Amino acid sequence: MRNREKTAIVIGAGPAGIEAALKIGQAGYQAVLAEREAELGGTLRQLYSSFPRWEDPRDLLDAKIRQLENCPRVSIMKHSTVEASQLHEGGFLVTLRDSRNGTTKDLHVDAVILATGFALMDLSIYGEYGYGIYPEVLNALEFEARLREWSQGSGQAPQGVALIKCVGSRDRSKGNPYCSKICCMYTAKQAGLVKDMFPDAKVYVFYMDYRAAGKEYEEFVRDVIEKKHVRYVRGRPAKVLCENGRLLVRAEDTLVGLPVEVLVDVVVLASAAVPHPGTRKLAEMFGAKTDEYGFLENERFEPVKAADKVFFAGGCGFAVETPLALQQGAAAAAAVIALFNTR
Amino acid sequence: MGPDFYIPMRLNEVDDSLQKEIKENLGVDLEMCLECGKCSGGCSNGQSFDYTPRKIVQLVKFNDEETLLSMDALWICLSCQLCLDRCPSGIDLPRLLDYLRAKAYRKGLRASRPQVQLFYELMLSSVRKIGRVSEFPVILQFNWKTGQYLKDAHLGLTMFLKGKLSFLSPHVKEKEKVRRLFNGSPVESRGNNR
Repeated sequence: MRNREKTAIVIGAGPAGIEAALKIGQAGYQAVLAEREAELGGTLRQLYSSFPRWEDPRDLLDAKIRQLENCPRVSIMKHSTVEASQLHEGGFLVTLRDSRNGTTKDLHVDAVILATGFALMDLSIYGEYGYGIYPEVLNALEFEARLREWSQGSGQAPQGVALIKCVGSRDRSKGNPYCSKICCMYTAKQAGLVKDMFPDAKVYVFYMDYRAAGKEYEEFVRDVIEKKHVRYVRGRPAKVLCENGRLLVRAEDTLVGLPVEVLVDVVVLASAAVPHPGTRKLAEMFGAKTDEYGFLENERFEPVKAADKVFFAGGCGFAVETPLALQQGAAAAAAVIALFNTR
Repeated sequence: MGPDFYIPMRLNEVDDSLQKEIKENLGVDLEMCLECGKCSGGCSNGQSFDYTPRKIVQLVKFNDEETLLSMDALWICLSCQLCLDRCPSGIDLPRLLDYLRAKAYRKGLRASRPQVQLFYELMLSSVRKIGRVSEFPVILQFNWKTGQYLKDAHLGLTMFLKGKLSFLSPHVKEKEKVRRLFNGSPVESRGNNR
């Protein structure tokens, strides 16, 4: 037997990957946390606030990263992308490339956790909403950055903001047939934040329905409507027009069957969650299956297992909110620890 | 709903004064509405409403006081309170309708169907005279004045035989107190004040 310590590689350092690496390290095994970007945190780092408790996601990340740094068994490799993988002595030989200098490094690992997260759909196909045409039509992540700017006192205060849900989701012609699940909640959060910062601004959320299935979620959305006074208008907008330098959103109020419009300064599109473009290639590399959209598929009765010695967590399986990403990261770590303990 | 039906209503120009007024004066918060329609689905008289309860909530949000004060629903609502009883958010729609009715009455607005208006007047005049509604005299007067002498006679007989309808006016102890409620109300003392 080799006396090398059992090692897992965790690919992607968002909340799911961080949690997975942390738990594996704390359990006494080696974990390599490979992150493509210069910073840990994934999509979560781009967010200004969180639901259902309005916490700064960076506080959560900082706390987790501090734990990581105190865990000697976790090695963090930033700027690293997985270039290749081959089966090797019952595990994998993974080639990592450093994006700064192009050098590569081979790692012998016994298990893999994919935690590459999700991305937002490219919305330029929605010409009717003017994404990519009007600079003040933003996708949800761009709006998170705008919220942060506003909170720091920069940028112009808006008189009106319209948030459109289901852009690319529940759309069988141009987008995806599925519900992206997290948009109802983050849209409510974003709308509420605008009202917090600019109480006089008129904030509209256009929705077909709101899906708030989760602990404290329904209460969260109701508070946004009833206490922060965000106006929810039921209807899927048909178009966004420019009028005297502002944006006009046209829709039907389907509760009364009348055409309505709102004139606002910023339009936010709650973009569908899609798999990260690289996830399919990574899955192929490790013999994992993906579904028709490119999200990882689990093995039957094994919610975080994608293939032999290959596990996954977080948004690469499907859009997840932060607590669920953490749960899945911990679950994938538990699967790896169980694997390492039984051999 | 004005005549410009197909011109989109510009929501950011709609002011929310009526919604605020209702919240402040009545404590009825329409932002709590879940838009589920349980109120309308179970409304006792909803089949005859021009605007069902859920749509009435929307009209308030559109600040459309003109429609609200002139709609038929205002006068054919039975105030049976089923909408309130069933509302998952506990929104007191009967109270809202009472408020709107009083507001309409003060503005001289009446039910568009004369028979509905007549019934209101007869009913309130009964309350004013004897302290409560006495069904039998109200029905007799209504049928007499509308020339439908035998309307619902069959039903009346069945109700009488089951003890649900009395030919005698019920006795109310403190009629004066009831009468005083009418002081200063838009419903004048003569009862028939068209």
